[in-house]
Amino acid sequence: MKRAILCAALLALAPFAAQAQSAAELLKASKTTDAVLTYGLGYDLNRFSPLTQINTKTVKKLVPKWSYSLADDQGQESQPIVYKGVMYVTTHKATMALDVNTGRQLWKTAYDYPQEVQRIACCGVTNRGVAIYEGKLFRTTLDAHVVAYDAATGKELWNEEAIPYHDGYTMTVTPLIADGVLILGVSGGEYGIRGFIEGRDPATGKSLWRRYTTAAPDEKGGDTWPGDTAKRGGAPAWLTGSYDPELGLVYWGTGNGGPWNAALRKGANLYICSMLALKPKTGELVWHYQFTPNDPFDYDGVNDPVLTTLKVDGKDRKVLLQANRNGYFYVLDRTNGEFIKGSQFVDKLTWADGLDPKTGVPIRSALTNKVLETGEETEIWPSMLGGKNWAPMAYSPKTGLAYVNSLNMGMKYKIAEADWRRGVMWLEADFAFVLPEDGNAGILRAIDPLTGKSKWTVPVGAPDNGGVLATAGDLVFTGHQTGEFSAYDASNGEKLWSYQTASGIEAPPVTWNQGGKQMVAVVSGFGAVMSMYVPHPVLGTVPKGGSVTVFQLAD
Amino acid sequence: MRLLAVAALALTLAGAALPANAKETFDPAQIAHGKKLFAEICRHCHGANMVNMGGGSFDLRTFPEGQRDRFMNSVTKGKNNMPPHGDVLSQDEIGDLYAYVMGSKP
Repeated sequence: MKRAILCAALLALAPFAAQAQSAAELLKASKTTDAVLTYGLGYDLNRFSPLTQINTKTVKKLVPKWSYSLADDQGQESQPIVYKGVMYVTTHKATMALDVNTGRQLWKTAYDYPQEVQRIACCGVTNRGVAIYEGKLFRTTLDAHVVAYDAATGKELWNEEAIPYHDGYTMTVTPLIADGVLILGVSGGEYGIRGFIEGRDPATGKSLWRRYTTAAPDEKGGDTWPGDTAKRGGAPAWLTGSYDPELGLVYWGTGNGGPWNAALRKGANLYICSMLALKPKTGELVWHYQFTPNDPFDYDGVNDPVLTTLKVDGKDRKVLLQANRNGYFYVLDRTNGEFIKGSQFVDKLTWADGLDPKTGVPIRSALTNKVLETGEETEIWPSMLGGKNWAPMAYSPKTGLAYVNSLNMGMKYKIAEADWRRGVMWLEADFAFVLPEDGNAGILRAIDPLTGKSKWTVPVGAPDNGGVLATAGDLVFTGHQTGEFSAYDASNGEKLWSYQTASGIEAPPVTWNQGGKQMVAVVSGFGAVMSMYVPHPVLGTVPKGGSVTVFQLAD
Repeated sequence: MRLLAVAALALTLAGAALPANAKETFDPAQIAHGKKLFAEICRHCHGANMVNMGGGSFDLRTFPEGQRDRFMNSVTKGKNNMPPHGDVLSQDEIGDLYAYVMGSKP
């Protein structure tokens, strides 16, 4: 009898217990509407949902269903994962499972790390969320560990140090599961690290391969670095890549060269500021494309590599899209890394005079050459935060447009000598932001990938740094630094709905179907890079405090 | 008697053996070294010339006189969102940072 009761109790819990969730399901993630299985709503990182219940006509009836406190006042950049009625969300110090119907906490597992690690996080203390696979959750930690939890209970299954944080490494990235391999990359490009991307066994956490992202002197590409500068040459890999299962390739961007002063590392510096195409099982580098050789201004190439098919000169091409920090929107052939098109997508760009139309190599402007030769303070656009920072964009195959939270800021940049110290920020440069005269440091854009031109723009004031979600209901959702969470008409940018969350939004929204009801969720919580560096007047007025809010149409 | 008590309290609060209204003075070499350290280690959160940019860090321009111990402690062990730096900076270096923060006020 006792056993029968226990069994009944276990059965009652079953709807909340994550079932083994398979590679086959992950392959269908972008077509799956009753779950949010991956970062980017599918391996193609389109952040596009085919759901239409919430649309341009019904969105005005969208209301909050519940909210949940993350009990943390750091910047929140976590993208929720939703599977079988459970939402998984993270902060830098905890992982949580919530009942999506009630918003109640099912479990919460804390993660402790030494407080000194926060010093090594150049751009704020944050985490970007979990990956789910075979009943396990995987996350990275600020002290550069990779941890697996039982998705049903939150029990820690394994915890592996990727690399000692003392050397300037941290991790905030959402892992990617591709072809059964857990893939992740490191942060730390401002701390004299040598970046890498790594594949691990999801069952045990053991490392299967490590691909360093700067070429050592004895490796191919090693001659693009003077002396042994590649050893502290940066190229972090701090944002999640995409995956094309048919081609068997993972696409993962790499970050800035280190230190920032590019004159100290003359040469192209492979593979900084590049897109790498890797085999997930082995980490073999199949092709690379370098956006910004010898990166002079922290123009990371890590932004989301979005996969789609575009008609180019009458022919369907399998492409990779990226809105790069350097202010250009790239279209690459993802089968071989060939440059197809690169177009300026920001209004003001002074660091280059354009791209070579055949190769896409940037033509450095006289201003850039001047600052590198003399070290003297020079105004450069875009700023070192780029024409777009981490905020993932959405691509709608329905409209053919990429929806991007773009930035509109410049900087006064100069060279400044500094001594390298282990685990301490090391730039060899100094900067101060230049804000646009009209105060619109953030602009939401609907960009035509092949021209870089914006079909519409919505100036938003403060520099927004959350992500974008597009839906087949012809809506574009994004959150603002003010805390406002808004829905726009995907065809013309008209604001159709908004809701004021408790703090500023720095995270990408998601949507899914829960028992016949379309739900939308977003994490709110001001902090991270914009709060630390950008003197925009609006930012000083935003309260801190992390939360999740879930919305649905009123009955 | 009451005056004495107030003076004693002021001394205790100041946390340093200085009359509450005395202005501390610093060796220019210390200030210069502190300035260099500040640029390398503190500037990215606390802002160039201590003008903190996004408001996410303590505004060092408002750090009160006579609280050297509080400064040394906060930098060494960390406080609130300020991470500890005792493992990368010596006490002399933190003292030089204090000299820069207090000694370069207008």
